[in-house]
Amino acid sequence: MIELAMVPVFLPLATFGVLAVLWPLRHSGMPAAWLSVASALASCVAAILAWTGAPVAGEPAQGMVFDWLVHDGKTIAEVGFRLDAISAPMLVVVTFVAACVQVYSLGYMAHEPRPALGRYFAWHSLFIVAMSGMVLAPNMLQFLACWELVGLCSYLLIGFYWDKPSAGRAAVKAVWVTRFADIGLMSGVVLLYVTTGGFAFEMTGDSGAATLVAALLFCGVMGKSAQVPLHVWLPDAMEGPTPVSALLHAATMVAAGVFLVVRAWPIFEAAPPVLTAMTWIGAVTALVAACTALVQHDIKKVLAYSTCSQLGYMVAALGTGSFFGGYFHLTTHAFFKALLFLAAGSVIHAVGTNDLREMGGLAKKTKLTAGLFILGALALAGVPPLSGFFSKDLVLEELLHAHAYGPLLICLAAAGLTAFYMTRVVCMAFLGPASARSLEAHESPPVMLLPMGALALTAAVAGFTTGRFGNDVALAPWHFAVTAPGVAALLLALGGIALAYMKYGQGKLAGLGVPALAAFIRSGPVDGLFVRGWQQGLRPLAGVVGWVDRYVVDGAVNLFGWAALVGSERMRVLQSGKLRDATYLLVMGALVVVAWGAIGGVR
Amino acid sequence: MPWLSITVLAPLLAAAILLLVPSSSRGTTRVLSAAASLVSLWGAIEVSLAYNLHEGGLQLRETLPLVPSLGINWDLAVDGWGVSLLLLTGLILFAGVFATWTLDDRDKDFYILLLTLVAGVLGVFVSLDLFVFFLFYEIAVLPMYLLIGIWGSTKKIEIKGPFAFALRRLDVGGREYAAMKLTLMLLIGSAFILVGIFALYQGGGARDFGMLHLAEHPLSREAQLWVFPALWLGFGSLAGVFPFHTWSPDGHASAPTAVSMLHAGVLMKLGAFGVMRVGMVLCPEGAVAWAPIVGAVAVINVVYGALGAMSQTDLKYVIAYSSVSHMGVVMLGAATLDTDGWNGAVFQMFAHGLMTGLFFALVGLVYGRAHDREIFRMGGFAKAMPGVAVFFTLAGLSSLGMPGFAGFIAEFLVFLGAWRSGNVVWALAGIVGAWVTAVYVLRAVRAIFWGEGPPERYHHLSDAKGTEWVALVLLGGCLIVFGCWPRLVLDAIDVGTSMHLPVVLQAVKPELAL
Repeated sequence: MIELAMVPVFLPLATFGVLAVLWPLRHSGMPAAWLSVASALASCVAAILAWTGAPVAGEPAQGMVFDWLVHDGKTIAEVGFRLDAISAPMLVVVTFVAACVQVYSLGYMAHEPRPALGRYFAWHSLFIVAMSGMVLAPNMLQFLACWELVGLCSYLLIGFYWDKPSAGRAAVKAVWVTRFADIGLMSGVVLLYVTTGGFAFEMTGDSGAATLVAALLFCGVMGKSAQVPLHVWLPDAMEGPTPVSALLHAATMVAAGVFLVVRAWPIFEAAPPVLTAMTWIGAVTALVAACTALVQHDIKKVLAYSTCSQLGYMVAALGTGSFFGGYFHLTTHAFFKALLFLAAGSVIHAVGTNDLREMGGLAKKTKLTAGLFILGALALAGVPPLSGFFSKDLVLEELLHAHAYGPLLICLAAAGLTAFYMTRVVCMAFLGPASARSLEAHESPPVMLLPMGALALTAAVAGFTTGRFGNDVALAPWHFAVTAPGVAALLLALGGIALAYMKYGQGKLAGLGVPALAAFIRSGPVDGLFVRGWQQGLRPLAGVVGWVDRYVVDGAVNLFGWAALVGSERMRVLQSGKLRDATYLLVMGALVVVAWGAIGGVR
Repeated sequence: MPWLSITVLAPLLAAAILLLVPSSSRGTTRVLSAAASLVSLWGAIEVSLAYNLHEGGLQLRETLPLVPSLGINWDLAVDGWGVSLLLLTGLILFAGVFATWTLDDRDKDFYILLLTLVAGVLGVFVSLDLFVFFLFYEIAVLPMYLLIGIWGSTKKIEIKGPFAFALRRLDVGGREYAAMKLTLMLLIGSAFILVGIFALYQGGGARDFGMLHLAEHPLSREAQLWVFPALWLGFGSLAGVFPFHTWSPDGHASAPTAVSMLHAGVLMKLGAFGVMRVGMVLCPEGAVAWAPIVGAVAVINVVYGALGAMSQTDLKYVIAYSSVSHMGVVMLGAATLDTDGWNGAVFQMFAHGLMTGLFFALVGLVYGRAHDREIFRMGGFAKAMPGVAVFFTLAGLSSLGMPGFAGFIAEFLVFLGAWRSGNVVWALAGIVGAWVTAVYVLRAVRAIFWGEGPPERYHHLSDAKGTEWVALVLLGGCLIVFGCWPRLVLDAIDVGTSMHLPVVLQAVKPELAL
């Protein structure tokens, strides 16, 4: 099976290599796109086949490794593949969503210039390589390397419209913030090596060291998985094409942080303080991001903050001491959030704007898109029997079992808000009177609807497929429905839907909401802190260094140069060549020597 | 075949023949230079293939007595480090010759000096005799004065402030100023080196310039405690060690493309190589005693250089300061006195050489077309020069330590070594420095290549063409190949480290002695 698992790495790699080197093919546009799509689909099939034959929990992993780094003639790091109960399902999720998104892009990006289209698909292929390489990583070093490469793909794809200044800013910002967090991740990996002598996903013995490593690794998780306050890059990342947002910034890449915790579970498990911190950070993120999503006008920004919020759920769940809930929610979220983004893309495609206020009444024009979006929204809101219900329920249940009542309450509140803001979007975009733009809207082509349908199917039924998701507890699907937090979450979600429908669908409840607060949240207070840090911290510091270097360090050098120059000019006067001057100097010199001798003699 | 002599002497021979070629025959000049660089590159590849990694140690030795009474010999041999650095020099030279293919002004003289310089560089990496080592070192350093003074570029800068009268007097910003500053600062360094070499020659009683003899007759601990810093500062001035780095931004900014490529790409490595191979290996006790200082200064280099690069708006200065920062990583690795740290230091010499060579080739292309170096006046250049944009991004990614590029392996190994040797602060500073690098490199890429544009005044922009691609593809390709498959050179470097590091460590820890 390991050979099959290697397909999602090597096939897209070959595609990327061909597209990178053969520029005529890349510039041809559609042929390049089809090549990339074909390799993505083949990768997906291979991943599913590999998953069916993969070891289940408790069975030894299948693997293949090659030596990579040496030290005194001995290997200290390997690269390779490791297929086990944890990596196999994630591989399926990644390749399946990637394949759906690539097929969708055939329609969504069809109007791009041909070379740009080729570039777009080349980077998508590279993304599958990096992501699969990360999922299958046999050790922390390869994980780190692929993690950074995934970040590179994110940079390139956010900046796909590189001639647009805002896209450039967003791309650079994403790298700055995530790599800032990676200072922690990198330190964690180095410390892992220093304490254990290798890069394995486990530490034995010293729990103090494990706590430190886990805390450092979690810094990286906070950046990549957009936990408050390092979430500021994710909403900006929506500058990329919408399919990119669906794949990277909703379904797979941002979930990499969550996957890191699952993958390195033996380390995190040995670090209870870090787990406790995770529950709280995750819960706070879930609530803060949900509140922010409430007030956004841009449909993609709503979804972006929603992604933040859901990532908060996953992190909170991981903090309870069991990785199953977080991992399960990652999986279902990948399906329904990718669906939501693709449907949003279809809406944007139809009306030509991201602004919710310019939409409305689209349900009549784009029936299928509306239906698929609403399905995704219900799954996200946690309405049974869609997948989001089961996974969110499990998250809450784990929080209850861990006696994390504070985070549990916060997450319950966020669940209500989630239902509220999704209903708000549905009402503003699809219901109500049609806007001027909506009147000219048209349904998307089948090449875009089909992958959305595939995702809708998985978003609907993924809740029933708990068996093979890396768990060591057998969980029956209906086990969830009877728990108290599940019922509470469902009631809150229904309440949220009802409230939002009354406010945005029927125009009642005008007094609901605080405009000043909404404006404050919309202004991005956390973002402001980062801007200030850059404007008043790092940039002036660099300026000071530049000044010191020019005027102090280099100033000393120039002082020497200038002194030599001017001093030699003054000294030159002595060498006038005139006999009178020479005699004068001779006599004076003799006097000095005599005086010196006399003083010496006295002493 | 005496591959080492062939590799070293081919450029010298070509330079000698070029003296006889009339200056009007441009074709002959170029073909001859390219041929010589190809022979050197080929020789370097032959050496790396011939070097037996299982045996390790010094190989391919060629000995010829020069002045037996003083113990001076033509004594060439290569160790694992030499293998990788010869390869680097061959690559950069080959790329550099093609990067200046279109030079018009006194091109014959230019190539003569360039080839002479490279022969010096190659010689340093394989000399076992300190006298010949130093000779080659000076051969590598001195032509720089003429290369910058004649073919360099002058930048009109606005001189103001209380010391403007002095700066104007020095003609700051001019190419003569840059050439003079670089040469004088490096020669002061050479004076320190010379003192160190004489001390080694006399002090231990070896009375021989052979490094192997000198290693058998080590200096007393007291002597090492002052000889090592002399060698560190002497060689360090060429490696851009703070605060003796200020020749580098001015020098690299004024130098013509191929000279910047070679200077930042390989010459600065001579300094670092000298500190490790001569300073640390021949004065182990001094090295151990001074390592905390060396490392602390290297940390300043890394962070200060990166912040300095961020404060610059001139493209060449940005890249020059980034070299100061990255050479700090080399010195940081050296100061760890750890296997991973040393492997990383030498790998960083290799990786940084490729990267900065590529950077300066690209800077030359951009400057040659835009006639401007102010990055924040540019914008949207990717539209007119997509190829240059791609390769600039590749070099930038290697520079900020993106996995898959050679720079990552080097920096990561140095961080491992630093932390492992107990210097957690060094490792953290290095990691933070890599982040600052990401900030300024991506900022520069965006300012130059992304965005709307290009502005009106840059209407002559065009992509790289013809021979200019050679340098870009060769160096960019190598960055990726060695980044994905580091063992191509890491194995050799590791063999070199396994040979030299125990010498240093056993001086202080007798239990490590064989």
